[in-house]
Amino acid sequence: MRTSVLLLHRASGEPVEGELFDEVTVEHFLEAQREWRPIVLDAAKRLVEAGAAKEEIPRHWHWDWSSKESDLRVLAYGFVGIAYEGRLQGLMKLETAGRSGRIAAQKGKPLVYVDYLETAPWNIKQIASVLGAKPKFGAIGTRLIEAAVRRSLEEGFKGRLGLHSLSSSERFYLDVCGMTAVGKDPAKQSLLWCEFTPEQAEKFLAGGTA
Amino acid sequence: MKMNTDKNWLKNMAEREDGCFVSVGGLVESLEQKEQASNVIPMKPAFVRFVELARRERSLSLEQFAEKVDVDLVELVKIETEASYKPAIRTVHRIAEFLKVPQKKLLALAGLLQMKDPEFQTAALRFAARSAPVEKLSMQEHSDLEEIVKLLCEQ
Repeated sequence: MRTSVLLLHRASGEPVEGELFDEVTVEHFLEAQREWRPIVLDAAKRLVEAGAAKEEIPRHWHWDWSSKESDLRVLAYGFVGIAYEGRLQGLMKLETAGRSGRIAAQKGKPLVYVDYLETAPWNIKQIASVLGAKPKFGAIGTRLIEAAVRRSLEEGFKGRLGLHSLSSSERFYLDVCGMTAVGKDPAKQSLLWCEFTPEQAEKFLAGGTA
Repeated sequence: MKMNTDKNWLKNMAEREDGCFVSVGGLVESLEQKEQASNVIPMKPAFVRFVELARRERSLSLEQFAEKVDVDLVELVKIETEASYKPAIRTVHRIAEFLKVPQKKLLALAGLLQMKDPEFQTAALRFAARSAPVEKLSMQEHSDLEEIVKLLCEQ
């Protein structure tokens, strides 16, 4: 699947056409590792040195997408990437089997689980600014979550979506996307389990969250 | 997959997303996974031995077994011969169905699902360990062994 997707070009404030695709290959993982990781690491170091608040420091500096190569062959996993002019802007890993809802009314009903999600560091305001730049594209996280919800609809899961949010990302999933905070999950380092009901997912797609 | 093309929606969402971290997964999770991985009892050898014994018990060749189970022969050969090979979920489902064993446990045995059941893991490990042959070496094997030892000891 390859489809065009509008992204917000921050400098001009205008939408530009990017590409959303699910034919993610090991080359994309290597690209993320090669181009993103040094920038995130550099920004994290500078923020620590500058005494930045914990929430301001990127917690995904150590990620290694290339280690996920073997997951490409697992049918129950799906990957989605977003590129602009051939350059990777965001990457996401989904699980489409074996996960179910935790909200009382959704208990036991299948959902799509977002296992990993990351945007290119030059699109993150805190990272770009510490490196003396402005973020390049906006709404990459929104677009990836939109793709995850649409995948859930395609799977017949009615838009149900679940993920374990890092503490620094909770604001995005709860306030911006409008997911429900179900509770800290002791089985997952007490990360917050966030979930979309079908109604919330529909509202998110229609832009009526918050 | 058709994505939202509403420019106002995009601008609104981009504005609200601005300044947010959006990462899922992360440091805590990764460290925990590494720790768990180092403590995980390897189950895959038990899966390989189980498939092989179940096939032989039915006196089926690899080809016949692949046909009956409705899986790709190449994949079946890889399962039985390549220790690092990760079988497809569908294949494990088909094997479980054919052999009438619970799919979830077989997925765990195949290394495709993590199961927090120490007793099951230990039993699987013992089952796999029993596959290690203890028969005396044949003359040919003895000769082969001597040859490789000689090669290894050469300066």
